[in-house]
Amino acid sequence: MKLSAYFRKNLTLIIVLAVLSGLFIAAANGMESKDFVITLLRGLSVGSLTFLVASGFSLIFGLLDVLNLAHGTLFMIGAYIGWTVYVRPDTLVDLLTPLALLLSGFMLGDVWIALSNRILFGKRLKRILPWVGIFISALILFSVLKQYPIAIWKVANYAQSPVSISYLASQGQNILMPPVDMAGFSPLLGFAGLIAGSLLLAFCLAVMKAGKQAATICITWRNFSGFVVLLLAGILFFVFNNALTDFLANLNSNWLFLVAVLVAVASGIGLGALMETTLIRPLYIRPIYQLMLTLGLSAIGIEVVRAIWGRPEFTMPRPELFAGTGEGCPATSLADWWQYHCSTMLVMDGRIRVFNEILIPVIGIIVLVAVWMLLQRSRLGMVIRAGVQDREMVEALGINVRRVFTLVFALGVGLAALGGVLAAPSIGLSNLMGESFLLNALIALAIGGLTSYPGAALGSLLVGLLQQFIIKYGQIGIPIPFMDVIFKPSPPIVPASTILLMVIILLILPNGLLGKKE
Amino acid sequence: MDYILDVQDIHTFIGQYHILQGVSVRVPRGSITALLGRNGAGKTTTLKSILGLTPPRQGKIMFEGNEIQGMLSFNIASLGIGFVPENRSIFRDLSVEENLKIAERKKGDYAGKKGFIFTLFPDLKRLINLSGINLSGGQQQMLAIARALVADNCLLLIDEPSEGLAPVLIEQLMKAIQQLSAYSTVVLVEQNFLVASQLAEYYVIIEEGRSVKEGKMKDLTNDKATIQHYLGAA
Amino acid sequence: MANHKPFFALKPDRGMLIALLVFILLPFVIGLFDGASPAQVWMNGSGQSKFIQGLAIEIFILALYALSYDLIFGFTGLLSFGHSMFFAVGAYLTGILLKNFGFSLAATFGMIFVASILQALLFGMVLPRVKGITFALVTLGMASVFHVLVLSTELGKFTGSDVGLQGVVVPDFISPATERLRLYFITLTILVVVFMLYKRFVNSTTGRVCTAIRENEGRALMLGYNTFYFKLAALMLSSLTAALAGMMHSIYQPIVSPNVAGLGFTVTALLIILIGGVGTLNGAIIGAVAYRLLDYGLRRYIGESASFINGAVYVLIVLFLPFGIVGTWRMKSLQINQGWKRLLGMFTNSQDKSDGA
Ligand SMILES: Nc1ncnc2c1ncn2[C@@H]1O[C@H](COP(=O)(O)OP(=O)(O)OP(=O)(O)O)[C@@H](O)[C@H]1O
Ligand SMILES: [Mg+2]
Repeated sequence: MKLSAYFRKNLTLIIVLAVLSGLFIAAANGMESKDFVITLLRGLSVGSLTFLVASGFSLIFGLLDVLNLAHGTLFMIGAYIGWTVYVRPDTLVDLLTPLALLLSGFMLGDVWIALSNRILFGKRLKRILPWVGIFISALILFSVLKQYPIAIWKVANYAQSPVSISYLASQGQNILMPPVDMAGFSPLLGFAGLIAGSLLLAFCLAVMKAGKQAATICITWRNFSGFVVLLLAGILFFVFNNALTDFLANLNSNWLFLVAVLVAVASGIGLGALMETTLIRPLYIRPIYQLMLTLGLSAIGIEVVRAIWGRPEFTMPRPELFAGTGEGCPATSLADWWQYHCSTMLVMDGRIRVFNEILIPVIGIIVLVAVWMLLQRSRLGMVIRAGVQDREMVEALGINVRRVFTLVFALGVGLAALGGVLAAPSIGLSNLMGESFLLNALIALAIGGLTSYPGAALGSLLVGLLQQFIIKYGQIGIPIPFMDVIFKPSPPIVPASTILLMVIILLILPNGLLGKKE
Repeated sequence: MDYILDVQDIHTFIGQYHILQGVSVRVPRGSITALLGRNGAGKTTTLKSILGLTPPRQGKIMFEGNEIQGMLSFNIASLGIGFVPENRSIFRDLSVEENLKIAERKKGDYAGKKGFIFTLFPDLKRLINLSGINLSGGQQQMLAIARALVADNCLLLIDEPSEGLAPVLIEQLMKAIQQLSAYSTVVLVEQNFLVASQLAEYYVIIEEGRSVKEGKMKDLTNDKATIQHYLGAA
Repeated sequence: MANHKPFFALKPDRGMLIALLVFILLPFVIGLFDGASPAQVWMNGSGQSKFIQGLAIEIFILALYALSYDLIFGFTGLLSFGHSMFFAVGAYLTGILLKNFGFSLAATFGMIFVASILQALLFGMVLPRVKGITFALVTLGMASVFHVLVLSTELGKFTGSDVGLQGVVVPDFISPATERLRLYFITLTILVVVFMLYKRFVNSTTGRVCTAIRENEGRALMLGYNTFYFKLAALMLSSLTAALAGMMHSIYQPIVSPNVAGLGFTVTALLIILIGGVGTLNGAIIGAVAYRLLDYGLRRYIGESASFINGAVYVLIVLFLPFGIVGTWRMKSLQINQGWKRLLGMFTNSQDKSDGA
């Protein structure tokens, strides 16, 4: 009884799903089983990457109502950061010290709030003073950072550009830049400048927001612990710079890749939190302008990437576990692969790349389940699900929705960065990789249902599969029944096909396959 | 008198519309105070202004002796104010239990209050695993009130609890509100004058964004002219 | 999505009149700087003036296009991501009809009229089914299909696929090469006429219903308006304007790039009205000027990293001009006015008091 009612209610959905599966079976029948398996796995791989972008995008859109058009760019930044850590650990290590010192001032958040509440400025002074402070601190930071020694490649010099570094690394030669010349840079002065700039900046920002926080905060030594830890960390990174660089450079590439993934995700989370708290937050009352803001940020992000890493495309070498080509390869089973670390594997006589077609889908599924658990089982997930529906009520229950917003934004960007760093060894790095995945993700979400988490997964899967099947059919051609012509879809049809699917599905089910009816 | 909440001449704008143009409400501790007024008078907006959901631009709001205007909503709510909105705002995707649990302000709130809540609303116990979307209007109203009881709230803002409910349910609800008012102060917005007059001890009448009259409910029930004038019904 | 305030300038717009005057004089003034007398400019003699005229024509076309987007997005509240199709259909149709079929200009315009009604109907068809962001995505889908058609090699004979449509022979009397000043004034006239038409439209009953739809569609429905027809009307007017802009684009530009059919060009329209101020009409024109000059200036003087600055400017505009140039200016002017009134009020009040005493 209940089942039949369910069927009746979701009749359109069931018919659509049936038609899609029918098409899928037809597509499978049209090719050899070897081709089919390869295409299927490729579709899963693209689908997984799309899902990593789409899931974060949809969480952010659902809870915050922000269409984050910079999401693709953040995906790309994740890829480039991952590449840097993996191929140039020396640059990463050099960057750690200034980063830690820069952040240290912000660890004193509560102290600044208490302080700014205690100091009473005149109204006018209160408006001007922070800006003056910010300007001064920017000046200090700029002058220090400009000459801070960081070993980095030179985009303009081909021999030192990411392209050739990548090439060398893929040949197994990881050549580090010689440590930077320390002449003309006094560490003490530099550190002092960084710390002072950071403290001033954090204080000024706190003054700007003063008065909106809850009454009194008592200051204990605990409030200083974060500051001290970061300070020490910064100095330790500086002292043990060479040791750490050597350690990372000599690390097994599998572990180094893991480090790269973690650093990329962490920077994604950090960037997301920064972006939400500083730029997105003032705009919740003016939603259209968020579009402009995120578009602008996206343009900025792409230019920054071009300035640092250059325009040419390059690839990130795969970790050793997925790069073997010698004896025993291609592997015939997973056990084989584990033994010989093959880059490719034979499945039903078809050759697949282990990293692209097995690891990425597996990670996609792990993330899918992990985030699902987070949403369903944790208190944070409960607040997110509630907030997607009614933010005001959640706030009226005494829950700090803003903090949840920041968390979700950061999490979403972190997921995109994870997607990026996984995409880097499989499809390579380019300035435009973000755009195409953002479009993919948008289409996937429209198909699956904009704010539905399972919908994001289903939509991404469909988009990935459809694209790969069309590409495959572009090679082998589709015989048109009762005619002698063989239709070969041309390249522009690939994006068009997914968009067409989206339009058809939206016209039948305006809320997507799994979206909620309003 | 000891006022737990003292709203002093607040002015609230929504967009560029000047919705509240001077509302003052004083709520004696331990009482039930009714906000009365016609449709669109600004009763809901008053409650939302207290909670900072539509922050007032002018005026003062004292809660337990502290000024709370200008604070962020969640901070105000955590001072101990529970809100039961007009449209109930039950979280559709959450189960009844989750709807209650989400209102916890510290661990164990829900476990501690469970007993009390289920004696007030025995029906909820049976529905505990149902998701919010499947509740009837009356059940939603009970859940909305129950949700406001989970945390330690000394003030409850209840907006039109009887709206759209069958008479039997209204009776049940009135009993529940009567019972819970022993534990916390209640500000009740109510269109149904019969309900309001039976529950509340004090009243404030709001008319076109201004508070125009306040006093004891007893006096109002006898004052047919005032009722006719401000509320349109006897 | 509509948090900006509904402002209507009912009075004849002094600012716009001044702007019109400036645009009329602009070619001659620039000519003077170049050492060319107005007569020379009249004969298309001054290179500098000609160049500026070209830039201005581009701005007018962009302004037309942005106006059409402001009508459906700013006034009616329809977020479309497929707006570039409206423009591109006009541009490509003009080019193809003139080049491959030898149509006259008038006949071409007739065809464009028909085509723009048809595409508005196409977009309108989905209106009853999809709302909000879903409408945006569906329109994006339709526009993308058109984009792919334009790019496809099969139609390359007509569209020039990814190279773009070129070799359009424009009738001599509006040739951008020899008769640029005339083209300049024709485009300007079209812009002025369309602008006035739009002003009339948004202040007409139909236009007000459109605004009501943006504010709250349910309420408009409840008042007994069939909102569908109003949205369709707005779409048609918008489509016609955009197609007209496309037509002028095709006449002015030697190559119609397929980019004008892409999502990027829709975003251009969105950016222009965000810069200028959503739902203000004037904003579309001011935004177009700002957008084109910014783009041109940055590309010329900064080169490579122009889009960095461009992006930064957008971010700054969002943060510091919260409702676009026109929107923010109007808000501030309201405040300034209030300030003046208060000052005056104090003055008169104190006078009253002194009178009374
Ligand atoms: N978002 C809004 N935008 C514009 N006006 C609003 C908005 N919300 C409320 N108003 C107006 O504010 C006034 C007061 O509304 P409010 O909801 O507080 O009335 P109320 O007394 O609760 O009425 P009811 O008994 O119908 O619930 C009404 O005139 C309403 O039209
Ligand atoms: Mg109300």
